Amino acid sequence: MKINSKYSLWGIILGFLFFLLFPFMTPYKALASQILIFAIFAIGYDILFGYTGLLSFGHAAFFGLGAYGTGLSLIHLSIPVPLGILIGVIISILIAFPMGYLSIRSRGIYFVMVTLAFAQLIYFIAFKWRALTGGDDGLQGVPRPALGPINLDSELVLYYFILFFFIVSVMLGIRIINSPFGKTLQCLRENEDRAKSIGYNTNRFKLISFVISAFFAGLAGGLYAVLQNFVPLLTLGLDISGDIVVITLIGGMGTLYGPIMGAMAIVFLKNLLSSYINIWPLILGLLFVVSVMTFRKGVFKELKEKFLKF
Amino acid sequence: MDFHFIFIQLFNGLILGSIYILLSLGLTVIFGTLGVVNFAHGAIYMLGAYAAYSIVTLLNINFFLAILICPIIVGIIGMLLERSLISKLYKFPHFYNLLLTFGMMFFIQDAIKIIYGPEGESFNIPQMLGGAVNLGFMIYPKYRLFVILITAFLALGVWLFIEKTKLGAIIRAGTDDSEMVDALGINISRTFTLVFGIGAALSGLAGVLSAPIQDVQPLMGMDILVETFVVVIVGGMGSIGGSVLAGLIIGELITLGVIFWPPIATSLMYILMVIILIARPRGFFGRAQFFE
Amino acid sequence: MIKRSLILTIVLIGVLFWVVCPAKAADTVKVGVISVLSGPLAVIGNGEKWSAEMAINDFGTVLGKKIEFVARDHAYNPGIANEKAKELYEKEKVDVIIACPNSAAALAVAQQALIHKKPFISTSAGTTDLIGKRCNRYVIKWNYNDYMLATTVGLWGAEHLGKRWYTITSDYAWGHDLLKHFTAALKKKGGIHVGNDMVALKTADYSPYILKAIKAKPDVLVLLNVGKDTTNSTKAAVEFGLKKTCKIVHALLFGPNIKGAGPEVFADDYCAMSWYWKVDNPGAREYADKYLKLHGDRPHFMAAAVYSATWQYLEAVKRAGTTDPEAVIKALEGHTFRDMFANPGYIRPEDHMQVAKAFLLRAKQPEEIKEDYDYFEIVGTVPAEEAYGKPGQFGCKMKGF
Repeated sequence: MKINSKYSLWGIILGFLFFLLFPFMTPYKALASQILIFAIFAIGYDILFGYTGLLSFGHAAFFGLGAYGTGLSLIHLSIPVPLGILIGVIISILIAFPMGYLSIRSRGIYFVMVTLAFAQLIYFIAFKWRALTGGDDGLQGVPRPALGPINLDSELVLYYFILFFFIVSVMLGIRIINSPFGKTLQCLRENEDRAKSIGYNTNRFKLISFVISAFFAGLAGGLYAVLQNFVPLLTLGLDISGDIVVITLIGGMGTLYGPIMGAMAIVFLKNLLSSYINIWPLILGLLFVVSVMTFRKGVFKELKEKFLKF
Repeated sequence: MDFHFIFIQLFNGLILGSIYILLSLGLTVIFGTLGVVNFAHGAIYMLGAYAAYSIVTLLNINFFLAILICPIIVGIIGMLLERSLISKLYKFPHFYNLLLTFGMMFFIQDAIKIIYGPEGESFNIPQMLGGAVNLGFMIYPKYRLFVILITAFLALGVWLFIEKTKLGAIIRAGTDDSEMVDALGINISRTFTLVFGIGAALSGLAGVLSAPIQDVQPLMGMDILVETFVVVIVGGMGSIGGSVLAGLIIGELITLGVIFWPPIATSLMYILMVIILIARPRGFFGRAQFFE
Repeated sequence: MIKRSLILTIVLIGVLFWVVCPAKAADTVKVGVISVLSGPLAVIGNGEKWSAEMAINDFGTVLGKKIEFVARDHAYNPGIANEKAKELYEKEKVDVIIACPNSAAALAVAQQALIHKKPFISTSAGTTDLIGKRCNRYVIKWNYNDYMLATTVGLWGAEHLGKRWYTITSDYAWGHDLLKHFTAALKKKGGIHVGNDMVALKTADYSPYILKAIKAKPDVLVLLNVGKDTTNSTKAAVEFGLKKTCKIVHALLFGPNIKGAGPEVFADDYCAMSWYWKVDNPGAREYADKYLKLHGDRPHFMAAAVYSATWQYLEAVKRAGTTDPEAVIKALEGHTFRDMFANPGYIRPEDHMQVAKAFLLRAKQPEEIKEDYDYFEIVGTVPAEEAYGKPGQFGCKMKGF
């Protein structure tokens, strides 16, 4: 992605202004926070799916692990929120290593199924381990202790707190993609055997990509726990895994900005449509099918390539 | 150890196994030949159940006729979907079709919700198959016996079809190398459509047979879909024998779990899958380098 | 050209996001309902929504102000319920949220009520945590709870139906809760618990569990489940002939279950309810008739509870002379009332549980059903003190505002 300096500066300023005013544009402020959270999730997922070409149907596991990790640590230890989020991320990454290692042994379609299966297993464990997770009642009562002088109880303040992490995530994402590591991932996506023959340890790259995506997912999950003040069991569920695939695909895989816009569109639409129309899963399904059939790169990437040639 | 009781339970586990077998047969045949992971398989199963409901309850047609008609209807729907959407994506990496069927699943489920209402419908066991029969070792419901017999019959039929008929040979060849088959002058795309139809019909039949046992509702396919995937993974994607074996084993495994260790009865299948994936990543009879 | 499209896109997105109108006119009272309006349990949610609307229409105006109504679907998903609660309290600026089935969802909404300092009347969730360790001053629990359901059926059943009990429980928080309270009630009356099975939600085939139950030779089979699970488990019991040898008792049994599967399946089964449309309360018949005329079915007890909760909330606003949450809640605490739902009903100040006597119902045989939707017969009652236990027994430490 060549960065044309003139457009890019214009874009950054506009974008920054937009996100500063964003909470005032959404029906209620918590929605803006939720959109950013899924955007963070999607950035990491795009690195795995769009850039490395690995379709995981089990990423809700990392989102959920981050959420439960953060939630539990905030409830049981009196620690500041950033530390709680750090713990959530660490737990997510710790599980990502073995899960990724075992999953990557399978290629292609099998990888998809394996990740799905592992996520289901983690879901079941959380469901049964009621003493720890609250089972299907979820983890209730996640606190938002004030961060020094900053009172996080206000939805608006929390939004800007999350915005900080979002900006960091975007910068991190761009950095990773444009690094030699990122280029190798794309080379791997195009033709894994050729990459292997050149001498790359493809499994190691795949694993690192997997763990990186789990990092973003865990971060998003931790922020989610703080936003909602509770962790529903369904954060580990198949719906969330499916959601992130939908978001990334409709937004445009392999672009980073695509999934961000995808998150905005899907989370907002889901919220808006479900309040007024009963048939929004139908519309979402239709949108998804259309995206796969025609805009195979995703709605926003297609639009971008048609209208904005940069 | 009450062996009599365990035996009864194991016999009853054949029901669960039968439904898994029917579903996984369809899924594995579709995957084996077309390379498509059909996420809409559960939705198609649900369509079969609703077709049965519509035909029997609304149109007042005999249930036995429904067993013949409904799979055909569902098979035709499947073929239409394949013709119009799925076939367009064969030239792309396999996960495109996976995602396509994933989207189709939502669409189909919600369409049914809108047409029939979200609460689902009741479907009772047909009169003729009601009641129980004395098998000597236990009193067993007639209808369940019927399901077990039909499934056994069908599994054999599908195997014979694939192994012994000319069309079956084409399908097997298409699995190995579809370009070569095409080059030999056989219309492989028509075969693919037919195969998808067959897979869909099997799934639809599972739905018809399930309808009297559980109630019919729009999301009934979602719940059983993941379990079907587990069966296919354990059995080996693309292997018919694997599907049958895995379906039976997992059906019995869950039933045994219910007897001995109820809290994790349903989790047992996931644990089995994890073990298989570590020890034998391609399942019981999965082939190497298969759609990887 | 390109720059213009970029600006246009961003402006369009901005407009798309911006919702213009102010959420609530200052001189109205706004009632919000969150419930399950889609999916297989929609029959519960729709009944609740309609009842709230009916109550508002019947009440008219309060303190000279119009009453606005807004409803949101949580699709039985606690995460969505949490979001909808935030939306209702913050954007729509409702004065109260009512209903919310699904215990996890109700707990989440209860937390939001505390955060936003506005009342939440939980009519439809069973968890005793709402009047226990997660109670707070802004939450009022109406209608029933798991303890009441299990205890009513356990106490009455052990006396009248038999001593040997086998339970089949849905394996999630609600089921576990019910089982705990049920076995306690059973023990009190000297009953014997001969076995239990935890069954995963939405299990299609209950036959393995019914087979186990048959082996245990119970007098009574208790089905601690709801919805399709109730229907599937009962059908299996009938199929395997278990119904011929023992009685069946349900935690929750609704008219639609019976209508769907057919009264023969559920005939002579027992269940507990806080209300039935034929009960002899002032205004109950009128409410049930109006509901039948408007919606083509008789109301279930969840719907009736919402009607009552809405009505009593508006009455409390009238009594307090304001919609200020503190004042309204104080007007409800310790209040005794008589309406179509509870005759009388009383709201315990210690844990905010609305209590009234509980009913035992028997599902009728097909030939006994003389009127449409008249599926049950009231066969017994349990007084409020026994059905709901002692105030605060679940460990509620009610803090101040």
